[in-house]
Amino acid sequence: MATVSFRHATRTYPRTERPAVDALDLDVADGEFLVLVGPSGCGKSTSLRMLAGLEEVDSGAILIGGRDVTDEPPKSRDIAMVFQNYALYPHKTVEANMGFALKLAHVPKAEIARRVSEAAKILDLEPLLQRRPRALSGGQRQRVAMGRAIVRDPQVFLMDEPLSNLDAKLRVQTRTQIAALVQRLGTTTVYVTHDQVEAMTMGDRVAVLKDGVLQQCAAPKTLYDCPVNVFVAGFIGSPAMNILTGQVVDGGVRLGSAVLPVPRDHLVRASGGSGRVTLGFRPEAIELAGPGDGLPVVVTVVEQLGSDAYLYSKLAGESTEDPLNPSDVVIRCDARQAVEPGRTVWLRVRENCLHLFDPATGLRVAS
Amino acid sequence: MATIIPVHVDLPEARPGPSRRRGRGGRTSSAGPLTYLLLIVTTLVSIFPLYWTLVAGSHTNNEIASTPPPFLPSADLFENFALALEQAPIGTAIVNSVIVAGCVTIGTVLCCTLAGFAFAKLKFRGNGFLLALVIGTMMVPTQLAIIPLFILIAKLQWVNELQAVVLPTLVSAFGVFFMRQYLVQALPDELLEAGRVDGASTIRIFWSIVVPIARPAMAVLGMLTFLTAWNDFFWPIIALTTENPTVQVALAGLGTGYVPQRSIIMAGTVLGTLPVLVVFVVLGRQIVGGIMQGAVKG
Repeated sequence: MATVSFRHATRTYPRTERPAVDALDLDVADGEFLVLVGPSGCGKSTSLRMLAGLEEVDSGAILIGGRDVTDEPPKSRDIAMVFQNYALYPHKTVEANMGFALKLAHVPKAEIARRVSEAAKILDLEPLLQRRPRALSGGQRQRVAMGRAIVRDPQVFLMDEPLSNLDAKLRVQTRTQIAALVQRLGTTTVYVTHDQVEAMTMGDRVAVLKDGVLQQCAAPKTLYDCPVNVFVAGFIGSPAMNILTGQVVDGGVRLGSAVLPVPRDHLVRASGGSGRVTLGFRPEAIELAGPGDGLPVVVTVVEQLGSDAYLYSKLAGESTEDPLNPSDVVIRCDARQAVEPGRTVWLRVRENCLHLFDPATGLRVAS
Repeated sequence: MATIIPVHVDLPEARPGPSRRRGRGGRTSSAGPLTYLLLIVTTLVSIFPLYWTLVAGSHTNNEIASTPPPFLPSADLFENFALALEQAPIGTAIVNSVIVAGCVTIGTVLCCTLAGFAFAKLKFRGNGFLLALVIGTMMVPTQLAIIPLFILIAKLQWVNELQAVVLPTLVSAFGVFFMRQYLVQALPDELLEAGRVDGASTIRIFWSIVVPIARPAMAVLGMLTFLTAWNDFFWPIIALTTENPTVQVALAGLGTGYVPQRSIIMAGTVLGTLPVLVVFVVLGRQIVGGIMQGAVKG
C-alpha cells in the first residue's frame, strides 16, 4: 500500500516570516494521481521536496504507506523523482543513468540490465541507451528521466514540472502519455505544475495551493464547478472565471450602470448584511441576450478561435481606454455571434451557473 | 522481485531541431595580417627564453658571451648534459621533483576539490566564515611561515626529507577557492538531489557525480599545481640539501663557483624542464580546453 499523507506539515525558510508551506493536511490514496497546482511561490514544489526528503519539515509529519518518513533521508523513502530539468548525469550514458539507483542498491547486474531494458522498451529508448544526455533532445531527456524513475519500481512517483522545459506542442502530446503510463503502472504519483490546464487534464484530484496554504483538493470537475473560494474560481479554468463585486440592489446586483438579476435569498446569504457581494460566472455560462435584456457590456477585444470566439468587454459605463485593464467580463460565444469591438451586447448568466462569494472572506456562499 | 508491467507507449519524439549548417551561423571574420603579425611576435617573445636556454646550454661560456652570440644549438648540448649530471645529482633531483610535484598535485587536487565541493554545495554552519578564513590565508606572505615551519620539521626530524616539502603544500587556498567557484556554476543542485534520491551518500555523490563534472577544473588546477610545485625553490632550498635535492635546488648547486658555468647551468635547466614540457605537450589541449570551458560557462 502506498498512500501519502501530509499531517500539518510546515516549512519556513530561514530569515522569512511567512511559511512556504503552512500546516498542509493532504492525503493521497494508493495509486492516485494527485496534482499540486498554484501560482509561483505557492509552496507546491516545497511540498513535493518535503515529501522527497530534500527539504526539512519544521513541524508536522509526512507518511508514506502509513510509515512516518519525516526524518528519514530520501533513499529510505522508496520514492523516485523526475526533476524539472531532468537532472540527468551528464557523464553517464542513458543506460547508466537509468541503472545508477539500482547499482547503488546493490542490485545484481543482470537484474539491472533486465529492468533497464524493459523500461527502455516501454519508453522507446532502446536505440539511445549508449548516448549521453548532451546528445539527446529535450523530449528524449524527459523520457530518460521518466525511465530512471520507472526502473526503481518505487512506492511513489514525484514529478516536479517535468513538462515545463518542452515546447508547447510536445507538452500537450506528452502529458496524456504520462498520465496513461502512470495509470497503467498503478503507482501513486504526486505531480507539481503551475499550468492549470495540465492539472485538470492529468490528475485524479487536484490540490490548489496559494501562499503555502491548501485552498481546495478535489476532482478536476468539482474544482471547476464548485470552487471553494475566489482564488480557486479565478485560477481554475481558461479563460478564468469572471469575478465581479457589486452592490446588492432590489432585484439583483449592480455592476457598472446596470443590474444583473440574482435571486434574493442567495443575495441575503452572500452579502451577510454588508450590502456587497462577489459574483462569479464562467465565460461559457453566459448567453447573449437581446438589446436591453440583461447586463450591458461594451466589447473591447475579440479573439476568434475558429469555432468559438472570446469577447473581452467592459461593463457599460466603465472606461474602455485603460490598456492595463481591458476587460471586466470575458464571454465565450459561437464564432458567428461575435461582434466587432466597440459594440454593446447584453448578457445573461445561465441558470445555476452563477457563483456567489463573500466579498470579505472570498469564500463560496452559494451558486 | 520487482517487475515492470510492459506498457507500450508512443511518446512522441521532439521536433527535429534546425538542420546543422557547416561552419558557424552568421558572419565570421578571419584574422587580418596585422593580427597574424602580432601573434607571431608574441609567440616568438614567449618562446625565445626557452629556445635561448637550449642554445646557451649547447655552447661554452665564451661562445655565449661572444658578439654576435650563437643563435642555433649545437651538438655540444649532450656533452653539457653529461657535465651537468656530473656536477649535480640532476637525475636524483628529477626523480625527487617528480615525486614531490606528483604528490603535491594529487593531494592538492583531491583536497581542494573536496573542500571546494563542501564550500560550494554543502550546507553547514560557518560555511561563509570558514571560506573567508581560507581566502584570507592567501593574504599572508609565505615567508612569514618559514621559520616556524622549519622549527616544526626539525623537531620531526624531517630535514632533508621529501615529506618536509610535500606536506606543507598539500592544500592551497587558491585551489580551494578555484574549485569552489567552478563547482558553484558547473554543478547544478538538482544533480546532487537526484543522487540523494537515487540513494547515494555524500561521499558517493562526490566520487560518482562531482568528480566527473569537475574534471576539467581539476586538470587545470593539477597543471598549475604541478608547475608551481616543480618550480618551487624557496622552501625546498631551506628544507633540503644538495644530497637530496629537487631540480631547482640542484640547479642552484650548479651555479656556485668563482666563475659560474652558464652553459652547464642552462644544460641542467633544459634537463630539469623536460618533464614539465612533456606533461604540457601531452595534456596541454585538455588544459586549455578546460580553461576555455570555464570561461564560456562563466
